[in-house]
Amino acid sequence: MDNEKLLIIRDLHKYYGKHHVLKGVNLEVNEGETLVIIGPSGSGKSTLLRCINLLVKPDKGKIIFDNEEITGKNIDVRKVREKIGFVFQHFNLFLHLTAIENVMLGLVKVKKYPREKARRIAEEALLSVGITEDLWSKYPAQLSGGQQQRVAIARAIAMDPKLLLFDEPTSALDPELIGEVLKVMEKLANEGRTMIVVTHEIGFALKTADRVVFFDDGRVVEEGEPEQVILNPRTERARRFLLSIRELYRLE
Amino acid sequence: MDFVEEILYLTSNYGTDLLNAMLLTIEITFIGFSIGLLLGLPISLGRVYGPLPLKVILATYIEFIRGTPMIVQLFFIYYALPIMGITLDAFTASIIAIGLNSAAYQAEYFRMAFGAIQREQWEAALSIGLSRSTVLTSVVLPQGMRIAIPALTNEIIYLLKYSSIAYFVTVPELVYVSKIIGARTLLHIQIYTVTAVFYISMSIILTKFAKIIEEKTAIPGLVLKGRT
Ligand SMILES: Nc1ncnc2c1ncn2[C@@H]1O[C@H](COP(=O)(O)OP(=O)(O)O)[C@@H](O)[C@H]1O
Ligand SMILES: [Mg+2]
Repeated sequence: MDNEKLLIIRDLHKYYGKHHVLKGVNLEVNEGETLVIIGPSGSGKSTLLRCINLLVKPDKGKIIFDNEEITGKNIDVRKVREKIGFVFQHFNLFLHLTAIENVMLGLVKVKKYPREKARRIAEEALLSVGITEDLWSKYPAQLSGGQQQRVAIARAIAMDPKLLLFDEPTSALDPELIGEVLKVMEKLANEGRTMIVVTHEIGFALKTADRVVFFDDGRVVEEGEPEQVILNPRTERARRFLLSIRELYRLE
Repeated sequence: MDFVEEILYLTSNYGTDLLNAMLLTIEITFIGFSIGLLLGLPISLGRVYGPLPLKVILATYIEFIRGTPMIVQLFFIYYALPIMGITLDAFTASIIAIGLNSAAYQAEYFRMAFGAIQREQWEAALSIGLSRSTVLTSVVLPQGMRIAIPALTNEIIYLLKYSSIAYFVTVPELVYVSKIIGARTLLHIQIYTVTAVFYISMSIILTKFAKIIEEKTAIPGLVLKGRT
């Protein structure tokens, strides 16, 4: 078995009722790689990410993560989720907890660290995403969107996951706040973390991704080098979609 | 004697009786409410997150309680249980009836509060590897309790008034004692004025107190909304 492959997805299918959302996804992610997934809304990107950390149960196919088939029987779902960080489009911070408590919760309740140790790790994680001490005891509703998303990233990386999943992490942000989040993600990628990022930020993809996947209608339609997929896609569907995105982001 | 003098007459001659009766009313209210809270919370958790058979049993219990008059529930406990060998004094029977009744209503308030918690909060909690029970204790309860405060305030004010059903099993609470004093002095309007003022004052105090709790537990910058 190839040890460099952290994640292998084979012929993954998901139905919502009769609605066939994932139609045989095949995908591999290497250790240390940053994979960007681009594709139209409703094509199943979020569903795919949710399948990977088992928030959604796939109906058919295999996911092998960290040399273990996590779609198999007798899998400790919580252990898998602990090893996979998830960053949501709408941040999803715990509303009743301060920034630092948000980061500490998993360390205390899942990793069972003593509060002192959890606090130290949380502080470190918050600092690494640029959340300074004055913000630690603020509640989510008192933070800007960009700050909330960075706290959410700190919450994910504090658990020391092997894989980070980002589901359109900047889509809900005001334009002037997008940069600060992308910068943090870029830094994580450069640190050699393994990341799957669903995003329409093709500037980020060109600069940071090792590989780009164009996803449409429940399938991987195209994958390759960022420049190739984004600037010179082979398929007509990808060409059309990327053209519209590029117009939107004025990247010509 | 004018009206005010008559009331003063009542309070000076029956002050101790009235005070004791008021204390008993408050006691029934608070004990009933506490039993309701202690049972209502687990009932709602079981009803929302439990296995199917438990859900059905609890839903049936709630429907049964909500579908029958409280007085019937009290009479059942006070008069019917002794037939099965369980004899309770009037006070105990009253707080049990009120507590069991309130449990059903409180369970429904909590169910609505938990339902108002965003699905995203669950997903975020599960995604860091928390177990379902930890999500409940660390995320759902702290948020749900806050959302439920206004409904629980209404509940305790209802109970304050409903505690008077203990009258029917001869617990010397406020209405019972007022009735006796009224019969003895024939100052019916006067005594029930005193009674009404007490109930209204208590309602106002409880509402104020709940507001303080609500403010103290409020999450800075956030309005947690329940479904009303
Ligand atoms: N929980 C769900 N129940 C039913 N349908 C869903 C659910 N989640 C997603 N879908 C449907 O699955 C399709 C793919 O959704 P999603 O994975 O969110 O796409 P994307 O993230 O690419 O926009 C959409 O048509 C969506 O309506
Ligand atoms: Mg999506």
